[in-house]
Amino acid sequence: MIHISVYYFGAISLILIGLYAVLVKKNLLKMLIGLSIMETGVNLLLISVGYISGRSAPILSEGVGPNQAVDPIPQALVLTAIVIGVATTAMALSVAIILYEKYGTLNVEEIRRLRG
Amino acid sequence: MNGQYAALIIALPLVSAFFVPVIKAISKKAVMPFLLLVTLAQVGIAGWVFNEVYTSDKPIIVMAGGWRPPVGINLYIGHFAALFVLIIAVISFFMAYFSIKAVKVEPLDKYAMLFLLLMLGATGMIATGDIFNLFVFMEITAITAYALTAYNKTGEAAEASMKYMILGGIGSSFFLIGIALIYGATGTLNMAQIAQLAGNINPTVAQVGLALLIFGLAVEAELFPLNAWAPDAYQAAPHPITVMFSAFVVKAGLYAAARLLYLMQAVSTWHSVLRLLVIMAVLTVVVAEFSALRQRDVKRMIAYSSISQVGMIAFALALGSQAGVDAGVFHMVNHAIVKALLFLGVGYVGIKLGGTTLEDFEGLGRRMPLTAFAITVGSLSAVGIPLFNIFWSKVRIMLAGVSAGYTWGVALILGASVVEAVYYLRLIHRIWFAGGGERLSESFALGAIMLFLVALILVIGFYPNYAWSLAQKAGADIFDVTRYVSNVPLMGVGA
Amino acid sequence: MVSVLKRSLAIITLLIIGYWIAQAFAGVPFGQDKMLVGQYYLNNVKAQTGAVNAVTAVVVNYRGFDTLGEVTVLFIASTGVGALLWKRKKERTARTEGSIVLTTGTRYLFPFVLIFGAYIFIHGHLTPGGGFPGGATIATGFLLLYMAFIVYEIPHKGFEVAEGLVGMGYVIVGLIGLMIGGYFLFDWIWQTWQLGTNNIGRLLSGGFIPVIYTIIGLKVGTELSGIIDNMIKEEVRE
Repeated sequence: MIHISVYYFGAISLILIGLYAVLVKKNLLKMLIGLSIMETGVNLLLISVGYISGRSAPILSEGVGPNQAVDPIPQALVLTAIVIGVATTAMALSVAIILYEKYGTLNVEEIRRLRG
Repeated sequence: MNGQYAALIIALPLVSAFFVPVIKAISKKAVMPFLLLVTLAQVGIAGWVFNEVYTSDKPIIVMAGGWRPPVGINLYIGHFAALFVLIIAVISFFMAYFSIKAVKVEPLDKYAMLFLLLMLGATGMIATGDIFNLFVFMEITAITAYALTAYNKTGEAAEASMKYMILGGIGSSFFLIGIALIYGATGTLNMAQIAQLAGNINPTVAQVGLALLIFGLAVEAELFPLNAWAPDAYQAAPHPITVMFSAFVVKAGLYAAARLLYLMQAVSTWHSVLRLLVIMAVLTVVVAEFSALRQRDVKRMIAYSSISQVGMIAFALALGSQAGVDAGVFHMVNHAIVKALLFLGVGYVGIKLGGTTLEDFEGLGRRMPLTAFAITVGSLSAVGIPLFNIFWSKVRIMLAGVSAGYTWGVALILGASVVEAVYYLRLIHRIWFAGGGERLSESFALGAIMLFLVALILVIGFYPNYAWSLAQKAGADIFDVTRYVSNVPLMGVGA
Repeated sequence: MVSVLKRSLAIITLLIIGYWIAQAFAGVPFGQDKMLVGQYYLNNVKAQTGAVNAVTAVVVNYRGFDTLGEVTVLFIASTGVGALLWKRKKERTARTEGSIVLTTGTRYLFPFVLIFGAYIFIHGHLTPGGGFPGGATIATGFLLLYMAFIVYEIPHKGFEVAEGLVGMGYVIVGLIGLMIGGYFLFDWIWQTWQLGTNNIGRLLSGGFIPVIYTIIGLKVGTELSGIIDNMIKEEVRE
């Protein structure tokens, strides 16, 4: 058996749950929610990689010196990744609006059938 | 001029894209000419960068913010990047002109912005020297591509875009997991420093990390089984955008995959990742060629052909030998020219005749002789007839494949090429020997662009040596990691 | 039956993928100090950028190129949503006005929401936050207006132009750096002019971080409001 931290375990579980929704669900909105859950899992994973036991947030005010702070890079990366996730979701939702206008449904199988 | 001014290849399209709303507020008619002007300026800058890199024989390292890598992000404009930034700029310029004729769906100002940002994203993916920055540029490319795929706002376009988005979303999540692994193992995001430290990484971490990165890029690089979106998207996107997808967006993904692959050479489990990629590439070729045979729509058929050629490039890049990488880069250049020509021709037919099914191409030789001639030359070249450009790169890929010990792969690809010949010859037959109709007037400027591309195909076909030497230099840029590392002025943090 | 088969197949695949990823992460020990470049940032962040918040310094200054890309991604999203949901004539079709609590609350809270958003992005180099959360806060202000009043609309033309101009502002700040310091996105306010060197930990420090975060805050605010506007309105036939 492999031993990993509970934080990694939780983050990887979130990724898998999201992926499950994307693969199995038929409603487009649910698939998109799955994608968002997956992104959240990845972000948590990144943050956990940067965590160092017993240290605080990398804001160097009183009591927090360069050796008492966690790694700032993953946090910066996650900030970027979140914004990118928001952008993807916005695009996906507007495409879903078009699909609903054209086919009158958000069910993936229905859409495929209507298109023939 | 100072090499740092090469940052303009990123800054110019960006600032111009932000400027479009202002132009629109002044005059809506000025948007498309402005697009043409910006792409022309981009050609100028890219030409200067290309000249600088190839005359000095040294890469330009742009350090954003003045921070030396690995503290800051650097752009690495080596022989490969310089060559492809120029190709991207030139093709974008042609397509900006084609867009004026081809794109009538509103809102044009938004189209112009997305067009510029697609060009920017691909340029950035090729130029960057930082693995997370690569992710950012990949997302810029991908999200503009989603929007442009659905731009026509038909049901098919929206469905293609949705498919692309879901695969792309999964791909980018996997790419980020890969980054998390590599970062956790090395503590750096700079590509050159990762290459330095690659030998010390825990082999399992490196193998999974690299595989996840490649898997994430495979969506952009259209490798089987992550290319399900591509034919739909190619067919549904506006014609100029299809050209851009095929000519450089997919190349940016391939290049990034190859770059990451060779950076991690020192990893002991490296060969297993190579083998995986070779299998994916061969499957891409075979599946795509057989799917192409069944198509009744020419644009879709050429899309499948493009995917199969991309698989061939991936095969060459994954061989792990200098000869393979050189041949792959050579094929990238040739494929960019040929597919730009083919999709341009087919797109033009689509606008003039209102459709791109095989029936629409009957009698094209009489109705639009210039376009028909261009499509014929492109098709013959794509099939790999000697004395056309693709012949030379295909031969080199086959030779490299055999000498790397992948004879089965070469045999399968050759078999698939026969299939390719069948459907292209069927198209040529329809164009020249079936049906007929009245002569239509053809645009002079578009004809000139097509003739220019035809001339390139023939010139490279007859005198392949110059292009081959360019490709060799660009290939060495990817393959020779020691030189890559020594060219980046790392400031020795921690290492 | 088919769906059960499909589900179990999906679950098995996912478990394999999960195991594969997890066994790799077993090689990346949790909670240990693995910093390389990160330690450099922590050691030098105050002297080199003037910011107290190391994350902000990494985001805006050391890795400013990423942030430029990030701003671009959001710009693409707003442009793309605008392009895809474009209609010849669009109008709001809401029928019910917000409740009295919502309308009154919105009327009084709106300016404070804007001020709070501005506070977040101006103080990005000192406290957690910055341009993106600040901009998002500003956009919630406009979202409140949309929910409370059925006739309210943002001035799109103005917002669109502002969005473009502010984005240009970011690139131009970078290009000024190229001209003054010789590098694109060079922090000329801190490193060349050395403004605010005695002020570390107070508002007027941090070089160009507050400037860029103001730009980003305005950009994100206008873009997200634009996205809301595009999604909320529906086509009307003339």
